[in-house]
Amino acid sequence: MSLAGTELPPLTITLRREDLVRYAGASGDFNPIHWNDRMAAALGLPGVIAHGMLTMASAVRVVTDWIADPADLVEYGVRFTKPVVVPDDDKGATVTFSAKVDKVTEGLAEIDITALAGEEKVLGRARAVVRVR
Amino acid sequence: MTIDATMVGRSYAAAESYQVGREKIREFADAIGDGNPAYRGADAIAPPTFAFVLGSRALEQLLNDKELGLRLDRIVHGAQKFSYIRPIKAGDDIAATATITAVRKAGDVEVIMYETALTTVDGEPIATSTSTISHNRADA
Repeated sequence: MSLAGTELPPLTITLRREDLVRYAGASGDFNPIHWNDRMAAALGLPGVIAHGMLTMASAVRVVTDWIADPADLVEYGVRFTKPVVVPDDDKGATVTFSAKVDKVTEGLAEIDITALAGEEKVLGRARAVVRVR
Repeated sequence: MTIDATMVGRSYAAAESYQVGREKIREFADAIGDGNPAYRGADAIAPPTFAFVLGSRALEQLLNDKELGLRLDRIVHGAQKFSYIRPIKAGDDIAATATITAVRKAGDVEVIMYETALTTVDGEPIATSTSTISHNRADA
């Protein structure tokens, strides 16, 4: 069975301010750029932005939902290329994740992940390596 | 206060080990909206990016280094990578050590790369985390 080229089921998430506050609490990352408009603007950001680690956590769900056991994740890396701006409204920001198996070598599958907020890629070089049996 | 290449190699160990609890894992999984059953129950493992939370105890020490003079509210995360030896599990007692591996300056912006080693307090390696952060020293 060849897994290379397999497209994983995509995932769309919505991030609202309350999600950022909740992630701040759970992760202990209280950087004000994730909840305070004034501080975000002072740093030259277009608005309050989602924690990169929250976007990263959501992106890998496409992979861990696909493999039977998340313990089979061996490596996972991303670049945060564009911030996910989360407006202070009820709609929030929507991010869609998709992923495709690039290649399989010696029981390890390399998977490329794409993260789009609107037309913008918010993650670059997002790649996970998983053990396949 | 500034950052330069002489700071490469500085290491920061978390002041205390991190005792991983299953309720904390569940809280974290809920916060990232991940309902995976692997992250719940007595044998819970932690979601992959939870490794960053454990490393943040060491990052705190790095941020406390007066000679670097970094401020959390001036930091933006540029890149992040994890290599996992095994998942973090409820009941683990984890030590974290962050080491600066590279620094680069572009005007007021300082780009810092650091690597965080996560091991159990008994020395069993768990994961390595590689982070790139940008610190902006300019006042807006």
